[in-house]
Amino acid sequence: MAEVLAGQGKTLPEDDLTDLRLIGFRSLDFSELALRVEDEVGVELNFDAPDLRRIGTVGDVLDFLVSLTT
Amino acid sequence: MRDGKASRNRIRTGQVDCTWAGLERAVLPRKAAVAADDHTQAILAVNAHLDDPGELLVASVARFDDVIVDELRAAGFSIVRGLGTDEAHVEEPSVEGQADPGCIWLLTSGSTGRPKRVRHSLAGLTTVTAQQPDRTWLCAYSPGSYAWWQVISLGLAHAGTGVVCVEVDELDGWPRLARETGVTAVSGTPTFWRHAIWRDAQEVAAIPLVQATLGGEPVDQALLDSLRRLHPEARVSWIYASSEAGSAIAVHDGMAGFPQAWLDQEIPGRPRLSVINGELVLNSPFASSGNATNFRTGDRVKISGGRVRITGRIGWDEINVGGSKVSAAEVREVLLRHPAVAWAAVRGRRAPIVGQVVVGDVVLSSEADEATLRNWCVRSLADYAVPRRIAILSEIPLNESMKSDV
Repeated sequence: MAEVLAGQGKTLPEDDLTDLRLIGFRSLDFSELALRVEDEVGVELNFDAPDLRRIGTVGDVLDFLVSLTT
Repeated sequence: MRDGKASRNRIRTGQVDCTWAGLERAVLPRKAAVAADDHTQAILAVNAHLDDPGELLVASVARFDDVIVDELRAAGFSIVRGLGTDEAHVEEPSVEGQADPGCIWLLTSGSTGRPKRVRHSLAGLTTVTAQQPDRTWLCAYSPGSYAWWQVISLGLAHAGTGVVCVEVDELDGWPRLARETGVTAVSGTPTFWRHAIWRDAQEVAAIPLVQATLGGEPVDQALLDSLRRLHPEARVSWIYASSEAGSAIAVHDGMAGFPQAWLDQEIPGRPRLSVINGELVLNSPFASSGNATNFRTGDRVKISGGRVRITGRIGWDEINVGGSKVSAAEVREVLLRHPAVAWAAVRGRRAPIVGQVVVGDVVLSSEADEATLRNWCVRSLADYAVPRRIAILSEIPLNESMKSDV
């Protein structure tokens, strides 16, 4: 996530409760992050399984990705 | 077709280097589908057809999968393998049929489904009829493809026109082969040219070219400019042709696309070019049987700056990023304009929330990294069109048809 933000000249906040809208982390950024995870773990993720609507904070993003990879 | 003068033209493959008259004589069934292992076998098939014009389909052996073989045999074709070798073998048709003398069949690429057979004749495939200067052409197209027939027919129709065919195992070193065999004109796909320039631009520059031709794929300005820099004295042309539509567009001004003024012009003996709903539509005297009128090419075009540019296949070109439409060809062009990018491919990749995002593969000619290339794209493209991942490959991917750009 830090890499995605760094590509836009932004920094990943330390507080996991930070609202994604405040740091300008948009749906495209989230998609990119998912692809990076796929490339890293070498497995195609099932994007349909979890409920995406709950993702509002930095922590939600990280929890979501963990749920996809475990 | 092969008159006394043209029969003295040179034909060179991986195994022969002689005149057409000096080729070994092969005999084909009256209705033959020749599965050619190489250019040598394909040329022997053409030579046999000249001697005794039966019905002929010639294609690379890789095209002959089980389904194609069954279809051809059911259509009355004998399948000929290993022509001119000790392993020559003929598989009889499953249904006997009358041959139509002089008919030449081509297989379409099958890019939009199963390959189709399209009907031509040698006279119809010979689209260059004006007198030609003496040249030795290098042919790097797959045996039996429309572009291959275009080059071969030059060697059959025009005295003083030699043809040097490049076998698959010679592709990496073709610039040297061209110099050693006296080649002065080269015709190949953009991928073929891009690959050669990326490997060794100076080798390409050292060929004494008077003509460089590109065909078979969309042609971008960056590649045309590269060829112009390497060969400032040569004519650089690109050709639009297909198995179904035949040869339809030839552009010699070194610019990508063709002049918008050419659209909807009625000139006797020339194809009429139209654009309908963003698709190139042709009415061509060189088309295969049944495709002469309002042939929908399936190729997307974009008109800007007075030029009509063919960007790619409809259906393949569009990437839907969360409801925003992105042209893969346009993104690819932006990448290709970067001075470090020698080759690029762009596609949609499945992603959460937005459905697809744009991703790309590139081959570099000099130092660059993913972040640099993305920043380059940010300058020219909407946010949703910027590739979210760019993989840097070590080699330009090639396939048997020398098409890998789209």
